Amino acid sequence: MTYQNLQEKLSSGSLLILDGGIGTEVLRRGVRWRQHGIEDAPDVIRQIHIDYLNAGADVITSHTFNLTKRNFINFFRDTEHMVEIGHGGLETRAEELCHQAIVLAKEALETTGKQGQVPIAGSISPIQHLFRPDLAPSSELCYEHHKECVSVLKDCSVDFIFFEAMNNISELKAALQAGKESNLPLWVSLIPNHHGNLLGGESLVEAAKLARNGGVDVVFLSAAPLEVITQNLPTITNRGITGAKAMIGKYNPPSWKPDFYPRFEQTDQSTPEAYADFARRWKDTGATIIGGGSGTTPEHIATLKSTLI
Amino acid sequence: MSYTDLKQKIDTGEVVLLDGGIGTEILRHGYTWASHQLKNEPKLNLEIHKDYISAGAHVITTNTFQLSRRSFRNHFASDEHMALQGVANLTDRVGELVNDSVQLADNARKALGRDDVLIAASITTLEWCFRPDKTPDIEKIYDEYLAELTEYSDAGTDIFLFETFNSTPEAVVAIRAAREVGKPGWIALVPYKDGNLLGGESMEQVVDALGPEEPDVLLLNCAPPHHVTAGIEKLAPLWKGPLGVYAHVGKFNPPEWHFTNEYPPDKYLSECKHWHDLGATVIGGCCGTTPEHIALISSSLED
Repeated sequence: MTYQNLQEKLSSGSLLILDGGIGTEVLRRGVRWRQHGIEDAPDVIRQIHIDYLNAGADVITSHTFNLTKRNFINFFRDTEHMVEIGHGGLETRAEELCHQAIVLAKEALETTGKQGQVPIAGSISPIQHLFRPDLAPSSELCYEHHKECVSVLKDCSVDFIFFEAMNNISELKAALQAGKESNLPLWVSLIPNHHGNLLGGESLVEAAKLARNGGVDVVFLSAAPLEVITQNLPTITNRGITGAKAMIGKYNPPSWKPDFYPRFEQTDQSTPEAYADFARRWKDTGATIIGGGSGTTPEHIATLKSTLI
Repeated sequence: MSYTDLKQKIDTGEVVLLDGGIGTEILRHGYTWASHQLKNEPKLNLEIHKDYISAGAHVITTNTFQLSRRSFRNHFASDEHMALQGVANLTDRVGELVNDSVQLADNARKALGRDDVLIAASITTLEWCFRPDKTPDIEKIYDEYLAELTEYSDAGTDIFLFETFNSTPEAVVAIRAAREVGKPGWIALVPYKDGNLLGGESMEQVVDALGPEEPDVLLLNCAPPHHVTAGIEKLAPLWKGPLGVYAHVGKFNPPEWHFTNEYPPDKYLSECKHWHDLGATVIGGCCGTTPEHIALISSSLED
């Protein structure tokens, strides 16, 4: 029901606003980045969703990016080693945390009285580090992984699946296959590079075409700086519904952790107004759904809403 | 104390004490270890080193586990992407942090007037320590080690402690680079419950590969006590040189550590005694161990 309303709006060509950064917002609000802060600070995460809803987001995204079983296993030689030296229950940890994350998103909808109006996008990240297309394993493994992620989020009854920050074609195909089998609506976002390709160097146009032919309702560009999103957007807007969101600030990775840690600095250099200026260009290019990536805040979304709509 | 004095101690079979966990001590004090806390909490780093010296450690290690240019670069698609998307001077930062870490260890021994304590540079595998499958092409990493070790040596470390290595080929590269830089190299390998290395090599293979390299000390580390015991039982009868151990206590709960009460200092000590009986003389603690663990070993095992 919820998604159907959204789709009608999308089909009619009206502009919709997505939420902004979640991981970066968790850190900005002083929560320690362990297991996504879900156990430590559920109230903060719920409040972030509420703030985005109050800012006018037409869709909210679950706080599940990079929250996967594999993400825990990656720290160990294999599952057996994880059981030997790891904290108990790591195998099922990600799934439990995903469930909690989506409960928090639903509670935010209730609190703001927007249940049934605003759908929840179930966010799924690339199998490995979003900036490392070269680390993607075989397409069989990618398929299994995404199948599992989709099934967890489907169990949590998200309204649709959002494969975010896809960076290479082989994994994209695997994800699309897994997504299609869930019968849930699909959105995909692709990371462009500043040479006009996917981050991994393959054709961005080809990737967008694959996604659209694979039944994806909206193809986004995301997980790159404002200029890179702006530069690449025209190449994918002409064939279907297109979305855009950019990262702001500079990624400051941890000095030891091998996985993504959503710490961005100098985000204040892209004010909500400056961000909205770029977004206006995206709208002119043909994007009809616009949100914020890492580093953006509810203020950015509120400004998008008030200036673009 | 110079390394010559320490070596004499080691060669005569006296117990030499290492420190305990550093990253986990930072966590235990309520901080995240995401950036080693070298810049934000230098005082905490200093106090942890001081705690270990006061506890009786003869060798303290720098807070630099997994801190390398590669660790930062691994977060980006390419150098070009890092320049575009990353904060400025990310890789230059490593040299600065290495210097800071050595300085903090040095300040700790100076503050306590303990020039006899030596500083070991904590250096782990280039890729993730628990992932033998990620070991880079061995033919291509010598220069990377050489550059890294030169930096630590210039900053003033006395020993290279190659720790949490999961296989011997990378250890061989590291020890050869240490030799070229001209400072002693200690190799600490991760054992598994079957008494082999985490990467699958048997202790016979370890001895065949590392024996000719003559590392100053060969150790086992970063596994629970029963894995260390399984490893040392197999390794000790085969290894002619100095042998060491430091196990972790508690459970790895990425990205943090779950502290358990399974091995309080007295119980950890009895494991240490067992390892000592088996032939280990360089003894310390890995993740999850605290200055209390080291203090108890110091007061009990050195007599």
